[in-house]
Amino acid sequence: MDVFLFHLMPYPETPENFDEYQTSWLTYPRKHFDPRKGQQLYKEYLDQLVYAEELGFDGVSVNEHHQTTYGMMPCPDVMAALIVRETKRMKIAIIGNALPLRDHPLRVAEEIAVLDCVSGGRIISGFVRGIGVEYFTFGSDPTRSRERFNEAHDLIIKAWTAEEPFEWISKNYRFRYVNVWPRCIQEPHPPIWVPGFGSPETFDWVAKHRYTFMSVYAPTALQKSWLDGVRAAANRYGYEADPSQLGALFPIHVADTDAEAHAAAEKHIHWLFNKGLKHKLEYLYPPGYMSMGGMKAAMLSGLKPFHEYSYKELVEQGFIIAGSPESVREQLLESQGTLGFGTLATLLQFGDMPNDRARASMELFAAEVMPALKAASPVAPVAA
Amino acid sequence: MAQTVDHASVQLDVRGVQVNLFRGGSGRPVLFLHGAGGAGAWLPFHGLLAEAGFDVLAPDHPGFGLSGEMQHIECMDDLVYHYLDLLDVLGLDGVDVVGTSLGGWLAAELAVHSPEKVRKLVLLNAVGLDIWEAPVKDLFGMNPEETVAAVFHDPAIAASLFPAEPDLDFILGLYREKVSFARLAWNPYCCNPKLESRLYRITAPTLVVWGEEDHLVPIVHGERYVEKIAGARLATIPGVAHAPFLEDAAATAALLVDFLEA
Repeated sequence: MDVFLFHLMPYPETPENFDEYQTSWLTYPRKHFDPRKGQQLYKEYLDQLVYAEELGFDGVSVNEHHQTTYGMMPCPDVMAALIVRETKRMKIAIIGNALPLRDHPLRVAEEIAVLDCVSGGRIISGFVRGIGVEYFTFGSDPTRSRERFNEAHDLIIKAWTAEEPFEWISKNYRFRYVNVWPRCIQEPHPPIWVPGFGSPETFDWVAKHRYTFMSVYAPTALQKSWLDGVRAAANRYGYEADPSQLGALFPIHVADTDAEAHAAAEKHIHWLFNKGLKHKLEYLYPPGYMSMGGMKAAMLSGLKPFHEYSYKELVEQGFIIAGSPESVREQLLESQGTLGFGTLATLLQFGDMPNDRARASMELFAAEVMPALKAASPVAPVAA
Repeated sequence: MAQTVDHASVQLDVRGVQVNLFRGGSGRPVLFLHGAGGAGAWLPFHGLLAEAGFDVLAPDHPGFGLSGEMQHIECMDDLVYHYLDLLDVLGLDGVDVVGTSLGGWLAAELAVHSPEKVRKLVLLNAVGLDIWEAPVKDLFGMNPEETVAAVFHDPAIAASLFPAEPDLDFILGLYREKVSFARLAWNPYCCNPKLESRLYRITAPTLVVWGEEDHLVPIVHGERYVEKIAGARLATIPGVAHAPFLEDAAATAALLVDFLEA
């Protein structure tokens, strides 16, 4: 199993009247960001990510979110660049670049190519659509999100692999001279990861291209249905999905004892789910971002808005994993057996967790949990 | 009020798009173009126009109400051609056109494109114009309570139009219409920046009607239509907001009948 340290880089300070805001995204005023505080947080977070190499993680992950206290990474390629030059071995997964939000997908092709070249081929290129609220941020048309994503992807892949300049004409993008410099070191191009939240179209698309699917924030049963969706789609394309194609992401907290771990995790998860993920549903699901089928599946999934989950529910349903090293190890191995993932993204700093606690949890995880995970050969889940 | 004129639901094939058309009454044909909401029903307002002696045609736009999917229709331009095709299918050379909100934008575009096909034009709280200093408020970001507050002056009227406990099909139906609305109007939001400079082409006598309490689409939009369409005049209806034909169907119908019969 490959183990990655995932980060969101939250901006945890919120004003006393936070509850008066409908959401911590899009319209949550920027006056609540103190740049000096931000500078300190960026240093702590980037140091945590760089430390992951020393701790033996296979890689780190950065991501893209806009106009929110949830995360301070609107520009994931810049974040990756800050890590590339301070590390030598580990992979840097950018999950991802939100392709439909860019008017010029070739900028993504160029930025990733630069990063892959500079890093000596250590980049994993995530492609995402961006979450629904970000279609409000950029005024991008959510009803064209998927076709823009698909076209931008096809363009970028061709731009990375063509030997000669070419002209690109598709419904949403037209470029007369495509000839991306530099070239990626990885051949034919960096691996592609795609996070998903239950859209059947995503399962099919990921399977078709043999990319890696990552599940995010969901009960184990639902995550299983998503990974099963990818496996079934792979079967439709005539192959068995490799465990490395199936990724899972969990907030994880490790402390000396279960009691200590849960006490700390509860506090910081509360921030993540009640503040960081405080969404206004109309912003989160703009029309057309989800297909009718995807919307129906979401409504029937039984998922509540994140802030309505209690800590107990989050633990019991498998959203998050906390405990002593031994119990985290057991939970992750059990989860791996159920879900069959071969790539694990660990969110070890979350919410308003301070630097020292995050680093202590990372150290315990790396020393006492990760070796067992790496030793375990990924197994396909038992059919239900 | 009792409706005394029968209506029928007619299914049309307009270049492969299935269209549901409500039709009632007889007399001069009046094409009613609905807004982002309000499709899929023969409304009391339609009945009042039919009773007054008009052949009322109230189609559901593709992607709305009981009509089929939008298919090749991706923007307002495409929808204009769809309605030119629909008039051809119905064999109508000229009609009175009444459009509300999104349908008002459509009506104005239709009259710009083919002025000879529009005998008289009524714009009810129409969007469509790109007025930087007074943009239309963002319906896409509103929750149901905010939407009701923006569209209706009297929330009780809204409550009577929606089920108290909407089921899955109802919610998915609303989502479908919101997706169709977004395809037409996401960005530029609810307008065609070119429309204002083309309004000079409209030759039909034009009445612009505005609910006085409309804070969703500021009345400067109505005033701009009146300013740019030759001979147009503005009539306002007190005590109603963005949907006067729902909130005060009698007053709205009376204004229209006077105008259309004159």
